[in-house]
Amino acid sequence: MRTKPVHAGLETTWAVVAVVCLLGLGGLLNSSPALGQTHPATAKSAAAKAAAAKPVVPADVVKGLGDKNAPVTMEVFSDYQCPSCRILYEQTLRPMISDYVASGKIYLVHHDSPLPMHKYSGMAARWANAAAVVRKFPEVEAALYDNQDAWQANGEMGKFVQGAVSPADFKRMQQLMVGCMAMDAPQMGGSPGASGCAVDPLILKDINLAKQVPVSATPTYIFIYKGKTYPAASGLVSWPLLKQFIDQLLSQ
Amino acid sequence: MMSSASSDKNRRIALVIGRFILAGIFLVSSYAKLRPQIPDTPWSVASVKTSLSFFAMEVNSFQLLTDGQVSFVAHTLPFAELILGLWLLSGWQLPFSAAGASVLLIGLFGVTVHAYMQGLEINCGCFGPGERLGPWSLVRDGSMLAFALALTVIAFLARPKRSGAAGAETGSRALA
Repeated sequence: MRTKPVHAGLETTWAVVAVVCLLGLGGLLNSSPALGQTHPATAKSAAAKAAAAKPVVPADVVKGLGDKNAPVTMEVFSDYQCPSCRILYEQTLRPMISDYVASGKIYLVHHDSPLPMHKYSGMAARWANAAAVVRKFPEVEAALYDNQDAWQANGEMGKFVQGAVSPADFKRMQQLMVGCMAMDAPQMGGSPGASGCAVDPLILKDINLAKQVPVSATPTYIFIYKGKTYPAASGLVSWPLLKQFIDQLLSQ
Repeated sequence: MMSSASSDKNRRIALVIGRFILAGIFLVSSYAKLRPQIPDTPWSVASVKTSLSFFAMEVNSFQLLTDGQVSFVAHTLPFAELILGLWLLSGWQLPFSAAGASVLLIGLFGVTVHAYMQGLEINCGCFGPGERLGPWSLVRDGSMLAFALALTVIAFLARPKRSGAAGAETGSRALA
């Protein structure tokens, strides 16, 4: 009768342990970037996932209309749900845009000042900023103000935004709005916004600027001429009187 | 007799101080509207015109007047305040200058109260741009109005009364 040598059994056991250890070490190295190199394909995939989760928004996005080098800059701090802001836009800024902004006399800049008493103004500001990123701000601003009565009851403004831009631009805007829909939008003296919303930093930047002016009501506007800033004015102003002021300013 | 003379003296002193204060208010208010709205900008006809155009926008925000009326008020009110301030300062015909100041302040106070009751969140424009319309501006404007009315009443009461003898003398001189 042949007996199996004892050392042969030990060798088999050691071999199994060694293989298991090697496999474990390999797995550890593969999963931990600190311990080893990540596979290039895996890294690209992770980056793509991150990009899809929160799109990159340039910090220098400006919601401006017209020539940046125009002699007069008018900065308007407004709230898309504020009735006076809509009246200012419809009756004063719209004729100004088609006349003095188009002719290069004024550079018009919009700043968001969503007020806490307006439930959907922050969300409207998000759409407007997403539009600014894809360079469709004027169209979306007009759509938001034109349909203010329709969306301010229930906050359903997406269809009006969609109607103002091309399908491709709307898709890009929707990508920017991922992570924004279910979270509180930034407001003046209220919610700081959501960290998962890509466009909220743009709104917060405007809110901080509004605090410096300071803006206590909307609409508030300031004029910058030859690098000098006029005191802030608030409330409604008719286009003929605003035009009179700008003409006077330009004649100096 | 002594108390009456003392009372007259006190009244005269009160009138002088009162008209100086009221004149100061109107002159400061006028200056704030006419001066260049940007610091370090030199005075010129163009700068005054620009300031008045800027003031017109503030008047417009009260939403009470048509554009034409706004332009008229904005371009005349600061000069009216200037003239009234100088008139009060001169002391000439004080009862009437004080009455004029009261009438103007009644109008301005009425407009600011109306705007506040309407819930307008605008600049007052009372002493130049940048001042918010709020409870403080109403209290201040109301106090100025009360002061002007008091000055008017005292000024009318302190007018030297024409005696019958003086009138007869004047009449006889006219006849002569």
